Amino acid sequence: MKTKDIVLIALFTALIIALGLVPPIPMPLVPVPLTLQTFGVMLAGLILGPARAGLVLLLYVTIALLGLPVLPGGRAGLAVLAGPTAGFLLGMIPGAVVTGWLATFLSRTEPLKADSSSHHAGMTSQTSAWQIAHYALAAVVGGLVLVYAIGIPWLVLVTKMDFAKACWAMVVFVPGDLLKALVAAVVAQRIRRLNMV
Amino acid sequence: MIGSLYLPGNTWLHRLPAGLKLAVLAVGSTALMWVHSPSLLLVACALVCLSVRWAGASLQQVWQQLRPLVWLLFVLGGLSVWSQGLWQALEMILRLLTLVLAALVVSMTTPLTKMMQVVVRLLWPFQRLGWVDADKVALGVGLTLRLIPELGVQWQEIREAQLARGLMPSPLTMGVPMLLRTLRRADEIAEAIDARG
Repeated sequence: MKTKDIVLIALFTALIIALGLVPPIPMPLVPVPLTLQTFGVMLAGLILGPARAGLVLLLYVTIALLGLPVLPGGRAGLAVLAGPTAGFLLGMIPGAVVTGWLATFLSRTEPLKADSSSHHAGMTSQTSAWQIAHYALAAVVGGLVLVYAIGIPWLVLVTKMDFAKACWAMVVFVPGDLLKALVAAVVAQRIRRLNMV
Repeated sequence: MIGSLYLPGNTWLHRLPAGLKLAVLAVGSTALMWVHSPSLLLVACALVCLSVRWAGASLQQVWQQLRPLVWLLFVLGGLSVWSQGLWQALEMILRLLTLVLAALVVSMTTPLTKMMQVVVRLLWPFQRLGWVDADKVALGVGLTLRLIPELGVQWQEIREAQLARGLMPSPLTMGVPMLLRTLRRADEIAEAIDARG
């Protein structure tokens, strides 16, 4: 792994932490506040590709568990793992990997390389609208579906809440997360395009 | 700058080795998931509350960490009273509170460097296999912590530049320059690190 990769991973982790320090928006009736972290998860996957995005999220979770208040609302430490929303936190790691993998797979473009000579790759015939649609799909599957698929069963397990009720409670977040996926896709597409020039 | 949860002190809880505390926490938390008797849970909760006292935490510091959790417990408690009955709800709340407080005690009595040492030790088998390089992990954590305030400054700069031009900030107009600058900065930092070896 090159120095550039380590620096990129550290910078993206810092970026997600910075996004998480924006005060979360508490939602009525649902035990998970709406935050910008998942936006960071999607962006990391789309821009860095699966391997580095996974490492970014791994680093993020490690720093949170070590006791630095980097999670929304200034929470931190091992207490988070004991809480009912830990599944959503841990789910972000595979979420970012899947987002990155799907984005690469769907658009057949190479993720941003540490080595700047490879920027000629990809996006030869596809219009940018298609590219955005592919990115958005990747962000929804990885950053939304997968994170929920891990977070909801965890919530059910810890709180012994009814599974169907837990699912219904999460519906409130879907519009916000879809919007985040779309914005992440547009931003990622612009960054990728600019980087190729 | 964000601070860690660590409370400087020299109680017997502070003096225990970090690895032992983490191991006790892991085993204890798992065991607690299978405890259903209310009296046993009460004993566990009382013990943990006592150790919070022993760790020398003030009520205010504990409250600061618990505050985001209180309304969450309230909502979850309400939901499980409704779906499972009062006793089940009380049991769940008591268990969650115990787990979170126990983890808080460990975070408050263990400095970040000690936690990092445990992480590095846990990584050791992987390092032997050649999968990870503990030094690079440490570099990543250090860089991330250093870069969080930098990104805050960067956000402020972009905001001000756009306001000066009469632009209303939106996720797109903020996201793209934020990421571009971040990627460019990654180049610079990587070069600087490589130049120093």
